[in-house]
Amino acid sequence: MGWLAPGFLLGALAIAVPVWLHLLKRSASQPRQFSSLMLFEPQLRSTTRRRRIDHWLLLLLRIAVLLLVAAAFAEPYVRGHLPGTAPEKLLVLVVDDSFSMRVGTRLEDARRAALAIVAAKPLNTQAQVVALGARADVLTEQVQDAAVLRAALRGITATDARGSFGLLTSMARTLAAGTHMPIELHLFSDMQATGLPPDFNELRLPPGVTLVLHEVGAAITPNWTVESVAAPAQVWDPTKTRIVATVAGFGTPTATRIVTLLINGKPAGSQSIKVPAAGRASVVFAGPDIPYGLVRASVQIDGADALSGDDRYDFVIQRSERVHGLFVHQGSDSATGLYFRSALESAADAAVVLDEVTPEQLRSRDLSTYAFIVLSDVAGLSPALEARLTAWVKAGGRALLSAGTAAAQQRRLPVFDAPILGSHDFTRDDSRFSSVATVDDAYAPAGTLPGWLGIKVFYVTRVDAPQAQVGLRLADQTPLLLEKPLGKGRVVLFASGFDRLTTDLPLHPQFVAFVDRLASYLSGRASRISALSVGDSVDLRTDPGVRGSADVLAPDGTHPLDLREAARVRTWPLPAAGFYALTLADSRHDLVAANVSRLESDLTPASTDKLKLWQATSAGPAPADAATTAVPETPASVREASIHNLWWYAMCVLLVAVVAESLLASRYLHTLRESS
Amino acid sequence: MQNLLDPAVLNAISGLDLVAATVVDGFVAGLHRSADFGFSQEFAEYRAYAPGDDLRHVDWNVYARSDRTYIKLFDGETNSQLMLLVDASSSMGFASHAVSKLAYVRFIAAALAYLATRRQRDATGLVVFGDTVRDFVPPASRQGHLQRVLASLLQAQPQANTSYAAPLTHLQAFLRRRGMVVVMSDFYAPPADIIKAVTPLRIHGNEVVLFQVLDPQELRPTVDGSSMLIDLETGAQLEVSEDYVRGRYRERIDAHVAHLQREARRAGIGYHLLQTDQPLDQALLQYLRLRTGRD
Repeated sequence: MGWLAPGFLLGALAIAVPVWLHLLKRSASQPRQFSSLMLFEPQLRSTTRRRRIDHWLLLLLRIAVLLLVAAAFAEPYVRGHLPGTAPEKLLVLVVDDSFSMRVGTRLEDARRAALAIVAAKPLNTQAQVVALGARADVLTEQVQDAAVLRAALRGITATDARGSFGLLTSMARTLAAGTHMPIELHLFSDMQATGLPPDFNELRLPPGVTLVLHEVGAAITPNWTVESVAAPAQVWDPTKTRIVATVAGFGTPTATRIVTLLINGKPAGSQSIKVPAAGRASVVFAGPDIPYGLVRASVQIDGADALSGDDRYDFVIQRSERVHGLFVHQGSDSATGLYFRSALESAADAAVVLDEVTPEQLRSRDLSTYAFIVLSDVAGLSPALEARLTAWVKAGGRALLSAGTAAAQQRRLPVFDAPILGSHDFTRDDSRFSSVATVDDAYAPAGTLPGWLGIKVFYVTRVDAPQAQVGLRLADQTPLLLEKPLGKGRVVLFASGFDRLTTDLPLHPQFVAFVDRLASYLSGRASRISALSVGDSVDLRTDPGVRGSADVLAPDGTHPLDLREAARVRTWPLPAAGFYALTLADSRHDLVAANVSRLESDLTPASTDKLKLWQATSAGPAPADAATTAVPETPASVREASIHNLWWYAMCVLLVAVVAESLLASRYLHTLRESS
Repeated sequence: MQNLLDPAVLNAISGLDLVAATVVDGFVAGLHRSADFGFSQEFAEYRAYAPGDDLRHVDWNVYARSDRTYIKLFDGETNSQLMLLVDASSSMGFASHAVSKLAYVRFIAAALAYLATRRQRDATGLVVFGDTVRDFVPPASRQGHLQRVLASLLQAQPQANTSYAAPLTHLQAFLRRRGMVVVMSDFYAPPADIIKAVTPLRIHGNEVVLFQVLDPQELRPTVDGSSMLIDLETGAQLEVSEDYVRGRYRERIDAHVAHLQREARRAGIGYHLLQTDQPLDQALLQYLRLRTGRD
């Protein structure tokens, strides 16, 4: 026996009140007249005798009333069911509606098994229906009405989501925390092995939860799928484009599959590929004819299997013109331009054409033709040229400054408009160099890029820019990569140089990725992803300050966002596979492709040993017939572990005690009146 | 008829004379004896008329011859006189049931007066006292005297303290003839003081009887737990416990009663303990027994 709210037991201290009152009552007895006190002797009676309590039964009843009130609020409980009562439990019927349940009649079989459980359910047993896919959708409250449960079960349809049994365990923990009764969790699923989380501890069930597995479609079903497609998200020259598709077979024999590339729904190429038994094979589509703009591309195979939804892989390619960037360097410095241009050309996309000029040559250039400008350790810009550059940035341009040994000699940085506090030559220190210590992962040009810790920085320029966003910091907290807005544009500062004297960054492989990111970022071409998975979210409102309305056109031609969501939602999860035409809040248009997670394509069920081990993580032992569809009895140990709240019984006894106290007190009061 | 001697029954009868008649008639009927036993009407002597004497007893023949008024005295009248001394102090107002001690004493006194006056032709007098003599009816046996005694009994109300010395000393001046003196009280005083005050009444050969009238609750009181008691006469308060009342007090009241009885016997004084929940025949029987013994 225990207490669910033991704090209320402090209320039992109130029993001191009736004890005190009974003592007080005794000392305040009603006087009565007597013929003569001649024969009475004044006496000294002991304190103990004086304080003897009158009306013991009444006092005990009053104490019992207070104790019962405190006990009722403290919610006593016992484990195990009470004699003469049916063991209480909560049936949770979880139906897997993930993509793999589309195979054959798996979902229908699962629904039928769940309906059988509902039919066999005792009338007073509460149950709940949950659909398990990308998330656990609770379809009903905890109800006893079988009609409600049946309606919820019949409304479940297979989705394109990926199922995760780890999610089921999390839901069970939440349920167990809020339900004071044993939970019998029935899972109706194909028990895909890929649905099990890598860490088995995530499957550990909380005490009081019994897992009953109902496996449907136990037989291994062969399935081919387009496992992945490697294609650039942005191209400027289709002739150099290579689209690599990987076809995988799960439980399949060796077979030849026809792989077709579709561009905007039209075949753009087709190849035959021999897929080994339960293996993979890749096919390359080189130089497909890709029109300008956002292109709906797909790779599909003749699957000829039970799961056709994964025989096609959708992705989006954006074809655009190459952009031009301007690289300004001192006349004596030709190396940094070489490094920067080489890095850009080495990038897979290579969508930037870089023009190199000196400050003197910059005067004759039309800045409006450039997507971005790089000022590489430039010093001594004329005020007119600086004003021109600043005006260009304020009008919406983006500039990158590097502050090497030359730029550090100035009092203030041009365009970035920040005073120079000084410089630090780490080669004069004992350590000889400094390293990047802090990386802001949210900062697009540098965040999540690996290898920063291995970069040696020999020289850094200190600037006073407290309002700037810092993407990289050195070990001494000196900002290395900063950015600040300027008008409608932005200025990024690399507080060292792109040469090998101030930093060894150009010697590291991540220099290419860093420059490519910088170029994409500065040119306004955000990094695109050619394909997403079902359940991934798209960003509809990149700038929270924009008050425009977003829109989504789903693959089935519907607009799933209502007016409220269109006006406010920032991200939106992709519910099903296909192409989604997006109208972002800033009125830009985009196109994304969503594919079913290929983990769903492997229809191999989890081993029986694993499933039994999973069931054994609950409080009770796993039922012997784990795969049965019959409703098993609740294990005895779980019944013992079940919690029964006794507050109702405490209230009943309290009622009796109150009535008895009233009657007894009335009797005593009557006696007192008569005697007085 | 015995039920008619029950104090609770008598308490329901309005009119003390009717109570007295009911008690005595019922009592006598229960004795199966003549109503005039022990009564003598033989002529004894003449006595000079005194104010208060019954005019019916004046010998008018002697008056005609001698022009003096004499009354004829008979043996019965000369030998019998009943003096009732009723304690009407505050303590006599105590009652644990329907009949208070004073009411019970009224019944007894009325019955004795009725029995003595109507049946025995005895002169009956009454003294109502508390700390002083509050009412005094000289002993007489003439017509209407009984009503005067009963009226005085009815007027007696419990008040003031009890003092035996002053009233009884005052009474000695009026006891000129042999008779019987009945003192009815709860006798809440030291027995030695009571006997000392009562003993002088035995002059002229009077028989003195003490009727100690107590309520059952005074003999065997019951209290629930601790109780605060208030003295009816002094107003003093005392908290007593249930244990004390059940033990020590009972010992003391029993000792007090026994002591008074012992002292009375030693002084040649009759003593009877009467409880207000008992029939009145005990008191009447005692009176007749003494009356018979005297004759």
